[in-house]
Amino acid sequence: MQIFLNGLLQGILFGAIGVAFALVYRTTKVFHLALGGIGALAPYLVITTIAVGLPAWMAAVLAVFTAVCLGVLIDESIHWPFSRKRAPAEVHLIASLGAYIVIVQCIALTWGNETQVLRIGVDQTWTVFEVTLAQAQVLGPVLTLLATVALFIWLNGANRGLELRALADNPILVSLLGRNVRVLRRWVFGLSAALASIAALAVAWDVGFDPHIGLKAVLLGMVAMIIGGTGSFIGPFLGGVLLGVLRAEVVWFGSARWEEAVTFTLLGLFLFFRPQGIFARKVRLEEGA
Amino acid sequence: MNYLYHLIIYFEIYAIVAMSLNLLIGYGGLLQVAHAAYYGIGAYTAALLWTKLGWGFFPGLAVGAFAAGVLSLLVSLPAWRFKGDYFVMISIAVQTLIYATLYNWTDLTNGPFGISGIARPVMAGYSFVTTGSITVLYGVLATGLGMVMALLKWSPFGRALQAMRDDELAAYSIGIPVNWLKLQAFALASAMVGIAGGLYASYVSYIDPTSFSLDESILMLSMVVIGGTGNVRGPLTGAAVLILLPEALRFLQLPDAVAANVRLLAYGLLLILMMHLRPQGLAGTYRYQ
Repeated sequence: MQIFLNGLLQGILFGAIGVAFALVYRTTKVFHLALGGIGALAPYLVITTIAVGLPAWMAAVLAVFTAVCLGVLIDESIHWPFSRKRAPAEVHLIASLGAYIVIVQCIALTWGNETQVLRIGVDQTWTVFEVTLAQAQVLGPVLTLLATVALFIWLNGANRGLELRALADNPILVSLLGRNVRVLRRWVFGLSAALASIAALAVAWDVGFDPHIGLKAVLLGMVAMIIGGTGSFIGPFLGGVLLGVLRAEVVWFGSARWEEAVTFTLLGLFLFFRPQGIFARKVRLEEGA
Repeated sequence: MNYLYHLIIYFEIYAIVAMSLNLLIGYGGLLQVAHAAYYGIGAYTAALLWTKLGWGFFPGLAVGAFAAGVLSLLVSLPAWRFKGDYFVMISIAVQTLIYATLYNWTDLTNGPFGISGIARPVMAGYSFVTTGSITVLYGVLATGLGMVMALLKWSPFGRALQAMRDDELAAYSIGIPVNWLKLQAFALASAMVGIAGGLYASYVSYIDPTSFSLDESILMLSMVVIGGTGNVRGPLTGAAVLILLPEALRFLQLPDAVAANVRLLAYGLLLILMMHLRPQGLAGTYRYQ
């Protein structure tokens, strides 16, 4: 039970990153590796702003805001021009890789390569039904879960959310119907960066961080997206939760050293045997991409 | 003088790596990030044969190349079905799996501690101990492989590969066996990078899994993308940039702790700029369309 809950909490974070990745991938077909850099930046900004003397909540808001700006900037400077030129997926991927490297190395140059922690002192723990959980371990995922749920409500309720979902289904039709795709893309990249940075803050609060955690996190988000399916926004979240639970079980019953291997074997199996993901609903042939 | 030899040896090794990756990316249009894994397989197989079984230099090298070539089926079979982003995901999965195996199979590979005491090359009783003699030996090997690559470009095999890159369906329809071609291209490129791995192991005399990680694959990819793809000149330029960039940065008098980060930062910036301004790379001919 303890293992399951640990995995579940981890999984919520993977799920959020998966949703952030899928948000961009589904709507723009951009393989958003730079998301790893954006996420890695957030905890460093929090550390610096707290050192300046701001309260923690304000530091977090500021960090998420900066992440959103950075996300939008990356689209404006890199991916939007490429999409206009109709560049193939490979160009987006390589440029995104470049952006990731630039962000991470800037972080390393400014704050150093060492692992750092946000937490100060020993955490409060709660024990419920023989399950012991630390405060940071629970609060981070819960806040991330709230952010994700808010995003889903917005996606399904607001007009803008409807437009984003339309963008995922058929971008050309969206622009033909008079919607400004460029503005919509800013929303997509901004929201994705916000969600990723919130998840990153939660991870950083619980286990600490260094400049290079981003790539691993994005790849996990990518696996979550494939497991959950690229056909919906909720799929990647559930995929992430599943992945988190599974990884926790692997660590418990096998060995932590095979964690990554199991994750990526899963990715391969899914791509081969169920590329639409577990939670795919049936679509008409002309609907599916 | 020894330092100059050292640089030239690294250039020769990386030239082989870049040329073999170019066979896949530039001739075949198969973007992938598992190359460091095959580099590692070549290095480990050869090193184990040399240190544990006392094999000669060339037999060990050849078997290392053969092992890498056979294991390339791990990426080339998925290449039958996947393209673009999905193929990149598969190659990340393969890279992670092979890395995990090198890292965790402690009985064979000595895990994170690596293999030490690998002997310098010996040929026909003559032992290549000085860096000068190794420069010559590796130079001959690299030139030979470079000539193979140059000939390959205009051979029926190379032309078929380039036809497949430009339009797979059209190539298939005029009778080019694209799946078989992919198997051959991956086997050839992996065997070649396996040779480079063996040369690397023999030169530095110590290997551990960290030299063959995903980061290293990404570095190899950026080397080829920056240098250019689609001809022999391009990858050679890429390898030269990789070797000369740290030397150029030396003039800036950066402290050691920062130099590595600045180098990678320059790499990331170059990747983005290249994609914007010169998608075929510094000296390449092929660009993604």
